[in-house]
Amino acid sequence: MTRSKTPGKTRLQGGRDAVNQVDFNRFRFWFQLVAFVLFVYGGYLAIDLGTHLPFFSCGYNKEGRAGVCYLLPLQHQLGRPLAMLFTAAGLAILTGFLLFALWFIVLNKGWCGFVCPLGTIQDWITALRRSLGVRYSKYTQGQFKQLTKIKYILLALMILIPLGVGGGIFSRDMSPPFCLICPARMILPIFTGDFSQFTVDFSSMTALVMTVFGMAVTGLFLVGSFVKKRFFCFFCPMSALHYLISKPALLKLKKDGDKCTRCGDCYRVCDMEIKEIADDVKTVDIMTDDCTLCLKCVASCPEPGALKATFCGIPIFEATEAGFIKRMSKGCHDGK
Amino acid sequence: MNHITHRILPALLALLACGFVLAQDGGGRPPEGASQDEKRAFYQKRAADRAKAADSAAPAAAAAPAPAADHPHGAPASKAMADKAAPAKFEEPARGATRPAGMGMAMRGGSGSGSGSGALWLSDSPPARGDGLPRAGMGGMGGMSMGGDRSGPPTKRLWLRAGTDPVKSGFAKEDAEAPTEILLVKPQGVLTGEALPPQEEDKKNLAFVMPVQGYYRLYVTTRKLQGDTVNISVAKAEVSNFRMGGGDGEERAVALTAPRVLETAPIEIVREKAANEPTFFQLKSGDEQAFVVLQKGLPAQGARVRFVSHEGWTKEAVSDEQGRVSFQVIRDYFAPWNDFQKRFKGTYLVIADLSAAESGKHKDQPYTSVHYQATLAGSYYPATEDYRSYAWGLGVSLLIVLFSGAAVYLYRRRRIKTFQEVRFNDAK
Repeated sequence: MTRSKTPGKTRLQGGRDAVNQVDFNRFRFWFQLVAFVLFVYGGYLAIDLGTHLPFFSCGYNKEGRAGVCYLLPLQHQLGRPLAMLFTAAGLAILTGFLLFALWFIVLNKGWCGFVCPLGTIQDWITALRRSLGVRYSKYTQGQFKQLTKIKYILLALMILIPLGVGGGIFSRDMSPPFCLICPARMILPIFTGDFSQFTVDFSSMTALVMTVFGMAVTGLFLVGSFVKKRFFCFFCPMSALHYLISKPALLKLKKDGDKCTRCGDCYRVCDMEIKEIADDVKTVDIMTDDCTLCLKCVASCPEPGALKATFCGIPIFEATEAGFIKRMSKGCHDGK
Repeated sequence: MNHITHRILPALLALLACGFVLAQDGGGRPPEGASQDEKRAFYQKRAADRAKAADSAAPAAAAAPAPAADHPHGAPASKAMADKAAPAKFEEPARGATRPAGMGMAMRGGSGSGSGSGALWLSDSPPARGDGLPRAGMGGMGGMSMGGDRSGPPTKRLWLRAGTDPVKSGFAKEDAEAPTEILLVKPQGVLTGEALPPQEEDKKNLAFVMPVQGYYRLYVTTRKLQGDTVNISVAKAEVSNFRMGGGDGEERAVALTAPRVLETAPIEIVREKAANEPTFFQLKSGDEQAFVVLQKGLPAQGARVRFVSHEGWTKEAVSDEQGRVSFQVIRDYFAPWNDFQKRFKGTYLVIADLSAAESGKHKDQPYTSVHYQATLAGSYYPATEDYRSYAWGLGVSLLIVLFSGAAVYLYRRRRIKTFQEVRFNDAK
C-alpha cells in the first residue's frame, strides 16, 4: 500500500512544486495574450460566448468580439419602460444576472487580472512605460481611500440612469451611460480596424456631452495607464459589481497571518496599491474590492504558505521559498 | 468597504420599490389588464387628441418663417417642417409641385400618374403617424408598432395603404371587384404561406403574432379586370423579428437560412441582403440598396422599378436579366439643426411594374394582357456621417492626452528637489 501511494504523492508534490515555481510573469503574459486574442478576434472564428461575460469584451467591437460584456445588456434591459421591468419581461434581467453570476463565480476577480482585454492593454502600456524608463505614480493613502469610492458611485449611476431613461426622466441619448464613457468602447474596436467610436455625436446636446465625455475619459485612460498601473481598474464599476457578489466565488486569495512577516513585498508589487495585503494579518479571505486577483502578491511572497490562491478550497498556487528565490534570480546566471 | 455595500443595497431596493410605484401610473399607455376593446378605445382617443393638437399647431407652423438660412437646402427643410406640423390627410396631395427642381438627376415628383398612382402597399405605420419622427417609449425599436402582451411574443401590425407617397398615402379602400388575398409566410411555417383573415370592419390594420425569430412576410394580392387587362397587384411587407443577444441559436440559424421568396407569388420584390448584414440592420441615407424582382420565384427582366423616398423623390430603373435593380438612398431629411433627430425614420417605397401579353379568363371574362405590380416598403435613417464627427472625436481625446500628459509632467518636475549638499562637521 505504502509503495503504491508514494510515487503518486511524489508526482503530485512535483506538480505542485512546478506550479509554485513557475515564471509567473511570463505565464500571466501569455495567458493574457491568448485571452485578448480570443475575446477581441474570436468573432472571426465564429466564437460566441454570449452576452453575460464578467469583463470588458466590448459589444461595440462588432466584428471581432467573442462575447459581450454584461454591462451592455444590463443597461439596455434596465432602460426599458418602467412598467415593463415589473412584468414577466423583467425575468430576463434576473436570468441575465444569474448567467453573469455563473460566469463570474468561476474565476472571481481573476477575470480582471487575467482575462479582461482592457486590463491587458493597461498592462501593456505599463510595460511600455517601464521599457522607456519612466517611473510610475502612486496614490497617497488619503487619495486611495477617497478614490476607491468612485467605482461604487459609477455603479449606482450605471443602474440609476438607465432606469431614469426608461422612466422618461433622461434622454435616450444617455443610454447606455457607462458604455458611452467606457474607454473599451473606443479602444477595443481599434484592434479590428474599426475607428467608428472615435467620434463626437452632435445630434443632441445630451449625445454631444456624453460622447465628448467619453473621448475625454479615453484620453485620460491613455495617459493615466501610462503613469499609473491599472489606472482604470480603480474606477471600474464592473469591479464594484464583482465585489458585491464575490462571497460564493470558487477562486479565492487566502492569507495565513501567522506565517506573514509583513515584509511588504506583496504591497510593493500590487498594481492596485492595496495596503491591506501586507498589513492585515487577521483576515483569511484577503481579497478586497480593488483587487484584480492577478496573484502577483502570491508570486512575490517569500514566506511558504503565507499567501495562496485556492480553487474550491484546493490550493492551486502558493508562496514558497524556492519559488520566490527562482523568480527573484531570473536573469542571474551562476549566481552572478 | 462593507459599509458602502450595506448602504448601496438598501438604496437600490428602495429605488426598485419607487420604480414599481411609478410603473403603476399608466401615463401614455392603457391601464394594465385592460381588454382589447378598452385598449383600442384608449388608443383611438389618444390619436384623436394628438390630431387635435396637430391641428392647433399647424397654423403656427405655417406662419413661422422658413429657416432657409440654417441650411443650404433651406427650402426642403422648411417643406419638411411644414409637412410634419400639418395634420396628415388621407388623400394624396400633389407634393411634387412644391418641391424645388434640380435635387438630382432623373428625379421627379412622387405622385406620378398612370398605373402607379394608386399602388397598394403595406406600411408599418398608419397615415397619421407616418411622419418619421421617433416615438416616445419603445421608439428605439424603429417604430416597429410592436404590440401584444409584453410577456408574450410580439405582435406586428401593418396597414394597407394606396398611393405612391410614403408619408401621405391614405388607407386603401375596399374594392368589391378586387377582393384581397392575404398570405402570411412565417420563418418556420409552410413555405407557401398561410391565409391571414382580412381586417375586421372597425380595424384598419392587419395584425399577426411573431412567436419565433426570423423574417415574416405578408403578401396582399388583388386581381382586377379593367378592359381587356388584368391588373395583379402584390403588396408585400417583410418584418424581421430577432432577439437581442441571439436567443435560441438553432431557431436563429433556421431563421437566417430560411428562403425569403414566395414561389407562388405572381410578382414580388425582394430586398437584397448584404453578405455581412446584421439582423438588426438599419438602412442609412447614402447607402446603396439592391432589390430583385421575381415572378413565381424567377427573375423578372425589364420590370420598371421606382424608388420613392420619404420626401417623395423618385428614381426609376429597369431590372436586369437577374431581375436586379439598385438604388442609392438619397439624403432627404434636412431638418433645422435644433430639430434634427438621428432616429428619424424615413419610409421608402419600391414599386415594380411589368406588363405581359397573356390571355385567359378572369371571372369568366376574357383578357389579353396582364399588368403586374409589386410593392415593398422599408425604412431608412440619417447616415451617422450627418451627425458624428471623427475630427472632433480625435481632437478632444488628443487635447486631453496632451493636457493631462503635460500636467503629469509639470507636476513631477515641480516635485524634483535640486541636490543640496549637507556637510556634517564631525570635528565639533
